Amino acid sequence: MRIFVASLRKLVRRPASWVTLLLTVVLLALVFLALGATARQLADEPGGEDVLLLLTFPDAYTNVLGFILGLGGLLAVIYGAAVAGSEWTWGTLKAAVARGEGRTWYLLMTFAAILVLLAAGLLLAYVAGVALAAIGALLAGVSTSGMGELDTLRRLPEQLARGWLALGEQAALGFAVATIARSQLAGVGVGIGAYFAESFASIFRLDIVQYLPFNAAGAVVPVGGSASAGGQPLPILDPNTAVVVVLVYLVAALVVAGLFTERAEIGG
Amino acid sequence: MSSTLALATQGLAKRFGPQVALDGLDLSVPSGVVYGFLGPNGAGKTTTMRILTGLIHADAGSVELLGAPFGRGHRRRLFEVGSLIEAPSFYPFLTGRENLRALAATGAPTPGRRVDELLEIVGLTDRARTKVSGYSLGMKQRLGIAAALLSDPRLLLLDEPANGLDPAGIVGMRDTLRALAASGKTVFVSSHILGEVQQMADVIGIVARGRLVREGSIATLLGTEGAVRVRVEPDQVVAATGLLERLAGEGSVTRLPGEEMAWIGVRHDPNRAAEVNRVLAEAGIYASRIEAGSDLESIFLELTAGEPAVSPPPMTPA
Repeated sequence: MRIFVASLRKLVRRPASWVTLLLTVVLLALVFLALGATARQLADEPGGEDVLLLLTFPDAYTNVLGFILGLGGLLAVIYGAAVAGSEWTWGTLKAAVARGEGRTWYLLMTFAAILVLLAAGLLLAYVAGVALAAIGALLAGVSTSGMGELDTLRRLPEQLARGWLALGEQAALGFAVATIARSQLAGVGVGIGAYFAESFASIFRLDIVQYLPFNAAGAVVPVGGSASAGGQPLPILDPNTAVVVVLVYLVAALVVAGLFTERAEIGG
Repeated sequence: MSSTLALATQGLAKRFGPQVALDGLDLSVPSGVVYGFLGPNGAGKTTTMRILTGLIHADAGSVELLGAPFGRGHRRRLFEVGSLIEAPSFYPFLTGRENLRALAATGAPTPGRRVDELLEIVGLTDRARTKVSGYSLGMKQRLGIAAALLSDPRLLLLDEPANGLDPAGIVGMRDTLRALAASGKTVFVSSHILGEVQQMADVIGIVARGRLVREGSIATLLGTEGAVRVRVEPDQVVAATGLLERLAGEGSVTRLPGEEMAWIGVRHDPNRAAEVNRVLAEAGIYASRIEAGSDLESIFLELTAGEPAVSPPPMTPA
């Protein structure tokens, strides 16, 4: 427990935590304010009415979460990799192990602190995103009367929890890669590479790629509607199946990171 | 291994690929002393330190820490050991105090007030609220020493603790380590700075090519292993070596490397350096310099076959 609390304090004081949150909020602001400012003009063009729907509550609640998870997935990979990699790069894991601390325990407590930070970050970003979407709606002249729609509001905690799980899985992947690479930079690089490689591969074999970690994370939160290509629905995991797949990846990433750390020869 | 020892290793071996880092290292470190662990670069000092702190594991051999076996599964033995291995490790975005608090959350339970006590001891109270990224090398080193002392350890393992310290910092560190040994704790220090070790250590172990080549109390070593060094023209080395071997005995003369002029080391009572000079002069060999001493440098160079340590202090001219 001491390590968990200390890790939480470290992450709160870490500039990368705030930069990641700020970046998410700034990008959300850019998206929703730009949408709000241009939605009216776009709505007059063929198919442009969909743009207004993005800002229309209660659907905007889900849209905000969708934007955060789309954006936040990559940021979560980078954040997880940065935290795990820096333990090796700065030699702080070495210092803890030399004091007799359990390697796997230290690793797990560090990741538990990341999960808590992700939950807080997701919540803060979501509140900011909803506020920005409401401002965007006002700019576009779209009514915000749907904000109080009870059914959607009741579903929000579950959706946020699912989103948190998806971010946690992606952070765990970055965490594991950086642990194996023993480097912040290598972890971030490989994490980003894997993220884009999977996105690219989904163009060709979505039937397989849907089970890969980043696509599965993207399917955890039901966003409504269905993706299609050429009139054919694209194979995307059912949200509940996606939860199971994502949990498997999360646990597997931590087990791999733990085994590696337990057996590693720590130098430098 | 004896339980009166604070630290003992037996037949410790470690390879990194084809490179042999340790080749059957046997150490015996008595309790309550400052033990100077000396050796040239690549001799295996840091590898030994890493094994002793559980960062890596030996291929063969055994380790006993504070009277009990230490290996995989014995990490809690390190609760009574403090260490500073290679460069001190800290989070750059945290202050000195926050770093010590974060570290205190690992390993043995540490009282909260201990952090401030240690900052005071290492002279960092005024900079305790400064981020470590703004610390000088010497300040980081002092914070590293504070971190090693966090759990009030019975055994302290320090790898090159004087790195980056200014002269006042070195004196302060030496006094602190001597005081710790006087209070019954054991301090195991690896260093290249032979003069520093000579002033600080009670017992030394010299390691070369992964093996212990000499171990004993510093007083005994300095009393029995004095040396005289003579500098002659390169073309006079052979003749001088023969003469000096007749004086000091076979196997007691060594050609020392690293100079344009030839240095010859003779294991001989340093108080009788004039005798060496006389023998050479009578044969028409005039030494351009003679140095005599019973300091660690001569012992170190002789035992490690002349592999230099970093910045050895000069010997006293005879």
